[in-house]
Amino acid sequence: MTDRYKRHPDLRLADVEGDGVVLHLGTRRYFSVSESGLALLQALEAPRTIPELVEVLLERYEVTPEQAEASVRQFLDTCRTAELLVEEGNR
Amino acid sequence: MPPSSIAVRCADHSVRATLETWLTELSIAAPPGLALEVTVVPEIEVQNGERVFEQPEVGFLRRPDGRGLRIVWDEAAAVADLPAGAHAASVRLSVIAAAQLEQSLSNFFMAVVIMLLRRVGWYHLHAATAVDPTSRGWLFAGNAHCGKSTTAALLAASGWQVGTDDAAFLESRDGRVRVHTCGAPIALRPGGRALLARAGGIELPERGKVGYWPEDLGGVWTPLVSPEIVIFPSVGDAQTTGERIPAAAALGELVRWSAWVMLEPELAQDHLNALTRLTLQARCYRVTLGRDLFARPNRLTELVT
Repeated sequence: MTDRYKRHPDLRLADVEGDGVVLHLGTRRYFSVSESGLALLQALEAPRTIPELVEVLLERYEVTPEQAEASVRQFLDTCRTAELLVEEGNR
Repeated sequence: MPPSSIAVRCADHSVRATLETWLTELSIAAPPGLALEVTVVPEIEVQNGERVFEQPEVGFLRRPDGRGLRIVWDEAAAVADLPAGAHAASVRLSVIAAAQLEQSLSNFFMAVVIMLLRRVGWYHLHAATAVDPTSRGWLFAGNAHCGKSTTAALLAASGWQVGTDDAAFLESRDGRVRVHTCGAPIALRPGGRALLARAGGIELPERGKVGYWPEDLGGVWTPLVSPEIVIFPSVGDAQTTGERIPAAAALGELVRWSAWVMLEPELAQDHLNALTRLTLQARCYRVTLGRDLFARPNRLTELVT
């Protein structure tokens, strides 16, 4: 089974000189995210697997695949806690 | 004073006249095509929908079809429906609400007008606006008690142009954000009035304040400001101090003071984009206002040079 992730449809994103601001219209909270976090959330407009998200970071930053995957997993955990994601399980 | 560009359609002559007078006095130069369609009805059913937002005396509900807003007045039965995309609000007033129309203007009807303006790309922000003697536009964003009104009055007394002390409307045009204002007096609490050492003014008993037009204080009213400097003020004690903040931090602040950005998903991104553009076109500062400002109003301009 491959889990796919998508950003919550209630999110609205702003790119402010590389940093991100995220509004969650459902919970009426807002968040600051880093440049890489914003890139991941922009990619998550469509459903993505973890390997696809790792590719997003590898295309933008000089990091190893292991470092990118660790960052992606940590970011997804943070997003999950803040209810910023919708998760889909596909067989 | 030219008539308001927001049309009022109502069979009740007294209600229509009161609303038209209020809108004219607000002096909002809104794009044409907006309207309040008002009917007075014997009674209105209780509104049980989910409240997605509240402010004093006014509730915001999702419409039964899930799109657009329903705004209710809590003091007496009054309901405004704003379907998604509609440029006219359909307002129903109970007979009791119609009899208390004056009391509904600054809360219920103001909320309806704010939501109507949002549909034409004018986004409300709790902010004061001013233009300094070198023609730089300033915007002071924050909640009640953060010093917006007292600062606006002080700047007017120093000869600045002042637009508003509270209700600003952001509009993106040609890649820049400009800020429209209402024609309303600067409303000072007793503390601010004492600091300014001004007599006279217009009693605003329902708000516990006294109002001053910028001209009463030595300034000039300006309906339009293009901000180059954005200040997030708070009230301190002795010295006025400030620090420049990054655009992302400023955007977080603007979201707080333009909370409507969270309503109506189809409008939220454009609203957020206008706030973002403002943080990118202006230098943004967090400023603690001290009592020294009354002796040295230029302290503000010194802080941003």
